[in-house]
Amino acid sequence: MDRKKILQDGLLEEYLLGELAVEQETAVSRVLQSDAELMAQFRAMEADFERMAFENAITPPSEVRKSLEAAMLQDEVGSSKVRSLDVPQRKNSALLMRLMVAASLAAIFALSSFWLYTKWQDSEKNLQVLQQQTTGLQNRLADIEKNYRETNSRYQSINNPNVVPLLLVGNAKSPDSRAIAYVNHQTKEVVVNAKGLAPLDADHTYQMWADVEGEMISMGLVSSNQEYVALAYIDKAESLNITIEPAGGNDHPTVERLISNVSL
Amino acid sequence: MATPLNDTPLITQLRQGDKQALFGLYDKYSGALYGVIIRICKREDMAKDVLQESFLKIWRKIDQYDASKGKFYTWAYRIAKNTALNAVRNPDPLIQTDDLSVYDDRRTEVPKDYTELNGMLKQLEPHHQRAIELVYFEGFTHREAHKEMKVPLGTFKSYVRQALLKLREQYPEELMLLLLYVELIGHG
Repeated sequence: MDRKKILQDGLLEEYLLGELAVEQETAVSRVLQSDAELMAQFRAMEADFERMAFENAITPPSEVRKSLEAAMLQDEVGSSKVRSLDVPQRKNSALLMRLMVAASLAAIFALSSFWLYTKWQDSEKNLQVLQQQTTGLQNRLADIEKNYRETNSRYQSINNPNVVPLLLVGNAKSPDSRAIAYVNHQTKEVVVNAKGLAPLDADHTYQMWADVEGEMISMGLVSSNQEYVALAYIDKAESLNITIEPAGGNDHPTVERLISNVSL
Repeated sequence: MATPLNDTPLITQLRQGDKQALFGLYDKYSGALYGVIIRICKREDMAKDVLQESFLKIWRKIDQYDASKGKFYTWAYRIAKNTALNAVRNPDPLIQTDDLSVYDDRRTEVPKDYTELNGMLKQLEPHHQRAIELVYFEGFTHREAHKEMKVPLGTFKSYVRQALLKLREQYPEELMLLLLYVELIGHG
């Protein structure tokens, strides 16, 4: 770098204003030290610059001088042992204050986060309980609906003007047995309430038969613990008969074990 | 205001830890530096802090000043400008009370009293005046200032050079009178 380049590139002005990078600044400084003419130009520029600054000076408020005195006093106290302490006391306290503010904010944030997390967890639990209760209620509702439909259906099947209720009373072989058969000749349906039949051991079952012109035709098995049993409707039946048969039913009625019959 | 010609005794005293020497320099230069600082900061409370901080730095770093490389004012100006630019870029949140957005843009309008230039500068052509104002008083670098003026860097540099030459033409006459005055005072 030489005088010509410095002047051409306007580096002197930038050097004066402290705008140059360290390398360039060092180079310009070196040329200035060895070039008296360039140094003279620089000195003149500095003088103009300073002159301009004084022409545009603005008197600062008087309190700045006072606070500078106070700051220097603090600076001296703060650095009485180590003169070269770079960070001023005022900045330290400001930094400390900022750190305290930051720490307080962080603590508040942490506490509020923890509080929100706890609340969130509680809400999650409540939601789960509510979901379980809702599922339970839905299941109960479904059961009730099912029961209602069944009950309604049974009610319809026995409380119909076309239904003929027939009481089957046990004979001497089973004097306490009672059964009611509901026969609908219109829809050709038969339903039996067998709750009143005496309980049997596991090897036997009740079976109902229709008597058609002397021939016994099976209508189905009847369990004594069932309230409503739908059985096959047999056309032209003259009477209904209940016998005790081996478990699983029989092809032909065991007449000896007939416990009840009713004429239609 | 008269320009001080020789600060060597004050600087020597300052190097020896004489606080009064700093106040001597403060009394001489605080106005010139404050004129620059407030044009950069564009706010009085910030500018006051920056001025104080700048003189504290002068107090602490006077050993780094080399008179053979330049005048005291040039050195002090660089300190003040850098301190002001730092303050504008990182305003102290504990001191800050106004809308931060004001400081995002260094071109923000400021009270006219602070921006209006005085002295010989007023006799320059507007573009020369603006070039000097940007780099000398508002803390723009040449590379920032040419974009601000929307002219190429080379053109901008020539504006600055031409402006300085025109100022040189204006100053010598006054300078001679000043030198004469100082000589008379010096010889009592």
